[in-house]
Amino acid sequence: MPIRRLFLLGIVFWLLAQPGAPLHAELAVVVNARCGVAAMTRNEVINIFFGRSRQFFNGVEAQPVDMLDSHPDRARFYYKLLGKDLSEVNAYWSRQVFSGRGQPPVKVGSSEEVLKWVTTHPGGIGFIEASKADARVRVVLEMAH
Amino acid sequence: MSPTPLNERLSRPGAAWRGFLVGLLALLAQPASAEADLPFNLQGFGTLGLARTTSDQVEFVRDLSQPSGIRKDWDGRADSVFGLQATWQIAPQLSAVVQGKVKYHYDRSYDPQLAWAFLKYEPTPEWSLRLGRLGTEFFMMADSRWVGYSFLTVRPPGDYFWYLPFYSIHGGDAAYSVPLGDGLVRLKAFYGESNGRVPLADRQWDVEGSPMSGVSVDYYRGGWHLRASYANIRASNDLPIAGLLQAYSPDPAASAAFLATRNQRTDYYSLGVVYDQGPWQVQFMLNRIEQGNNALESSEGGYLLAGYRIGTVTPYLGYSWVHSRANNHDGRPLIEQRIIADSHSDQTTGIVGARWDFASNLALKAQWDAIRGDASSIFPYRSEPASGRWSGRMDVYSVTLDFIF
Repeated sequence: MPIRRLFLLGIVFWLLAQPGAPLHAELAVVVNARCGVAAMTRNEVINIFFGRSRQFFNGVEAQPVDMLDSHPDRARFYYKLLGKDLSEVNAYWSRQVFSGRGQPPVKVGSSEEVLKWVTTHPGGIGFIEASKADARVRVVLEMAH
Repeated sequence: MSPTPLNERLSRPGAAWRGFLVGLLALLAQPASAEADLPFNLQGFGTLGLARTTSDQVEFVRDLSQPSGIRKDWDGRADSVFGLQATWQIAPQLSAVVQGKVKYHYDRSYDPQLAWAFLKYEPTPEWSLRLGRLGTEFFMMADSRWVGYSFLTVRPPGDYFWYLPFYSIHGGDAAYSVPLGDGLVRLKAFYGESNGRVPLADRQWDVEGSPMSGVSVDYYRGGWHLRASYANIRASNDLPIAGLLQAYSPDPAASAAFLATRNQRTDYYSLGVVYDQGPWQVQFMLNRIEQGNNALESSEGGYLLAGYRIGTVTPYLGYSWVHSRANNHDGRPLIEQRIIADSHSDQTTGIVGARWDFASNLALKAQWDAIRGDASSIFPYRSEPASGRWSGRMDVYSVTLDFIF
């Protein structure tokens, strides 16, 4: 049946045309599963990780956790979020800190510690490899490349 | 004339070090815990800078708080600074911040100064209240002008920031943040008394105790930041020109009255747009300063700056300008006109430079400022040029090493 063959061929091409998402480690922004937030826009995530906003849209206080410069996820996160290099993120925070406006989020050294922070803080929010997200957290933004 | 006891106490460098000591004790008193959970932070910033100009006729300064500036020889005075800040998270909603700073300042010394010392209280995620010695943000980024690591250029564009010798107030501010779409609006108001002095010729203009107030509105969305602000200062004293008027004015009392700044208000308006996303950093700022007195000229200034990051190097180009105009002084005595002319500016500056983030928390910058102005443009500089010798054109070459820790 040429129609069926064409259809199958079409499916094969469609699959091939998909970005290789499952093969690459995607980053996911995760929140505490009980904070009442189901999805966030990129700009809302920027507001929280750059210290502009200290709450989610539903009024729950956000408690962000960042990673140390030495962890590769940190550079990938800010690059995907805003196209920024870590030196630029650190420059931004030096302005906030030394003008007395506020301190950057707490930093931890591993994805396990990010998960621990997010699950033990009611407004916890962090970023991890999407494959590491489990039922205790909710993925609110996936950051494919 | 003399500072209040409170100011005096706060101004003494000893107070800053005592603050650090108290904080350090608090740090030692804490049980060992994860770095992240420490309630006490000690952080610092600094710049080692060298600059030279192509003219010996005037002295180039970073802003009008500096009593003398640089000429044709490489000089570290204009840009070098070292700052140390202690932050103590007393309770989840309450923190204390103390910052000390060493730089060249109005009294020609490098004595450590207490930059900020305040309590911050954040009762809800929307509100932030501060009380104590605070930085003022007359213009966007004005309260981080000395943190070289935080910005692209060697120094904030002079044509825009020269006129802002005020850094802090004794007072309070309140900020309120509210989401708008997936962006954010931040409203802020401050009120306090100035604690600075402004060097003028070989004297100082005492603005201690001058009331300052202001409001600003910021909008943030993704890589965009827009800001509009209004601020004012009501000077507590006249300019230090009594001696000059006594010597040269046909009627010193009338001249003093005409040139009075005491109890006169100066208004500062500003607009700013920043785009900071991907490899681009673009800033566009405008300001307008309206002098309520006859002694100083009102001015308008602005700048456009664009940088594009390639790897670890960000080359940038900028253009800034400032133009001032005098209030009507037709028929006033010559000495008054001379004094008013001292506050004249009329120039543009082309800026070319690059920032190299060669290592973590370290940046090396090199910059060329091409100042192209009228010969009458002398307010931004120190030391009066010999008659007819200042062309208004000058180049400034600068290199800086900025760091934070």
